[in-house]
Amino acid sequence: MPGAGTGRLVRRIAWQLRLVFLFAALAVLPYLLSYSQQEIAVLLVINVLLVSSYRLLTLTGEWSLGHVVIMGVGAYASALLAKRLGVPVPISLLLGGGIAAATAAVLSFPLFRMKGFYFLIGSFAAGEIIRLIWKRFTEPFGGPKGLKRIDAFPDIDIGFLSIDFYEPVNYYFLALIVVSASLFVLYRIERSRIGLTFHAIHWQDRLAESVGIDTFRYRTLAFVIASFFAGIAGGLYAHYVGAVNPTRFGVDQMVYVLVWAIVGGTATFHGPILGVVVLTVINEIVLRALGLDTARPLIYGAILILSVLYLPKGLESLVPRVRERVRRWRSGPAATGEGAG
Amino acid sequence: MSRKSLDRKISRRKFLGTSAASGAALAAMSTGLSRVSFADSHTIKIGFLAPLTGPVAAWGKPGLDGCLIWADWVNSKGGVNIGGQSYNVEFIGYDNEYDAAKARTGATKLIKEDGVKFVMMLGGDTWPGVQEIAAREGMLFSTLLPSDLSPDSTTLLAPCEVHPIYNVTGVEWLAENKPDLKTAAMCAQDDSLGKPSVATYLAAFEAAGIEMVDEPLFFDPATTDFAPVMTRLLSANPDILCLDTCYADYVHPLCEQAFQQGYQGQIISCTADFYQKIIEKTSEEFMEGFIFQFPDFDDPALNSEGVNFVNPNEFYAEYAKRYGASEWSAVSWEYASIMDLWADAASSAGSAEPAAVLEAMKADGTGKHAFGTADWWGTELFGIDNALVGNWPVVVIEGGKATIKDFRSIPAWWDQHKDLMIKHMTDLGQMWNQRG
Repeated sequence: MPGAGTGRLVRRIAWQLRLVFLFAALAVLPYLLSYSQQEIAVLLVINVLLVSSYRLLTLTGEWSLGHVVIMGVGAYASALLAKRLGVPVPISLLLGGGIAAATAAVLSFPLFRMKGFYFLIGSFAAGEIIRLIWKRFTEPFGGPKGLKRIDAFPDIDIGFLSIDFYEPVNYYFLALIVVSASLFVLYRIERSRIGLTFHAIHWQDRLAESVGIDTFRYRTLAFVIASFFAGIAGGLYAHYVGAVNPTRFGVDQMVYVLVWAIVGGTATFHGPILGVVVLTVINEIVLRALGLDTARPLIYGAILILSVLYLPKGLESLVPRVRERVRRWRSGPAATGEGAG
Repeated sequence: MSRKSLDRKISRRKFLGTSAASGAALAAMSTGLSRVSFADSHTIKIGFLAPLTGPVAAWGKPGLDGCLIWADWVNSKGGVNIGGQSYNVEFIGYDNEYDAAKARTGATKLIKEDGVKFVMMLGGDTWPGVQEIAAREGMLFSTLLPSDLSPDSTTLLAPCEVHPIYNVTGVEWLAENKPDLKTAAMCAQDDSLGKPSVATYLAAFEAAGIEMVDEPLFFDPATTDFAPVMTRLLSANPDILCLDTCYADYVHPLCEQAFQQGYQGQIISCTADFYQKIIEKTSEEFMEGFIFQFPDFDDPALNSEGVNFVNPNEFYAEYAKRYGASEWSAVSWEYASIMDLWADAASSAGSAEPAAVLEAMKADGTGKHAFGTADWWGTELFGIDNALVGNWPVVVIEGGKATIKDFRSIPAWWDQHKDLMIKHMTDLGQMWNQRG
């Protein structure tokens, strides 16, 4: 059917054009921001990877309270490899992700004996154990004070090109490349047969088992992949800020990740990304610009309550609504019913 | 679609539209205001980079409130005289939420966008995020936590609070005035603030001949139930209960638990922020004799000749009038006292530039600390002489009111017992060359 093929081609070109437009906007964005807003943009890009990786785990139906600690595992591992063993930062970043994934693989044995609420509590306990280890062992983890003066991403200086990664705009592009590549992999996984299996386990785990799917292995796989990318996010954070400590990866931070995911919605790939972007912009830019620094927790809380009340399916549910409105608007007043008296 | 739901939709749309317009207008106003103040060449901006929200806000927000009083007073008298020209002082606050990444963002905003000449911080976990930009920009920073000091950061000063070294004065006074108290139990949150303070109290108790009945009990900062902590502390029946440098959110429930579990002995703590609220939760009798280190500034002892803080009693009265006496905390006066030091140095340097002010501050090796002339000190403990150390008050709650009992010399204690301090700091990995 040539008509259907043409339609697919048009949709594909439109999708690719949207992607090109998005990347063009992201490339221009830092030049429209102030210096401190560029700093916020760097952390936002890192948090996009964190919350997107968290969504992959939630695909199997399990919500963890240890994801930020897993991010910390990547951060600590990458920092220690670079600082103590002299491993080049780009390699330590990947190894940090690998160590976070390996930690998740080990944790999966006790944790995936539990489901639902029990998994939630178990993941919290596992995370606290890891945080207490960081605190207890000053060598090598630095104890409560953590690690500081962590090696930064090495500057690039090849005569005609000089890039200092301390500058937020440069680190923004580095993080954008790493995070974009990671999101592409996460997206492809979700769209693959493995991703469909994750969904099947979420909605009908008994049925999935009855047709021969090893739910333990697939849950572990989701946990390990999500942890790898959370570890990468941790490494990006550690080599940018130059310091990590156990408090940074505490349950308070985990609550933020949950809030981003819940407010954004987890039904679609872009839901949590919408959540983290919108809430970060409101919290870090808009409210600060309005001089409401000390009122931010109050307003942030009010936004959460309102979004749960009026947008229970998250910000992502606005996207189809907006699309529908645009479609109606394009179709003219008759289609929208306006002007009909 | 019913008429009612249509109305609701319209009103929601109107609401969103109005909200967006209001937000945009407020943002525009805010931007406009900051531009106006930026254009004022006779105003010097000072950065205030501390936690204004969250669990550590008690050591940030009251300090900013105190600074606003300081600025109003100084500006009403014509400002700070620098190089023959009077300048008003304006504080630009940034809430770092006690997070290193947010502190880094705040520091870049204050330095590169707001054009501040000096940045005051609480320090601690937030300093490592700022260290690099401080070095790159040559900006003068102050911290309340001298454990941030190191030879790598020459533009970081601890010009007011030499936490936790001043805690030795409370223990020394206690040992002299209540010599029958011979045993102590101690708890602290397991973090960068709690540990060096534990080392200090251990050294001070050992120097005073007070024996620890058990190892210090470190609890997680996420702890919310303090009943088991207190039960364990009291199980060895200590004469003295030491609350170390616990945050206000811990001191209050710890005191409540001690009260509820029937403890009637001596309590010593670094701070007792908002102590009136503790008295409300326990009793005046229970809190009688509670020793800590931070006076109310309506104390007549602060009018003595050696004290350099300007008009302390009036400052306290104004603070109580604006924010309420129960909002007074350990840091309400500290940042303001740092500003006294900064203003003196800027005046004598004839410049507000960070390098010139730093040089003027340390010119003769001494400085006018809030509680008297003090020395720039710290090489043995911090690797650099950037802490201003002199006398510190010992405060006791009497009849429900904080009362200064004595001013004690920290350097005098150090000269006698520095080996003990270095030993305990080293044991807990808190010496400057052991960090991170």
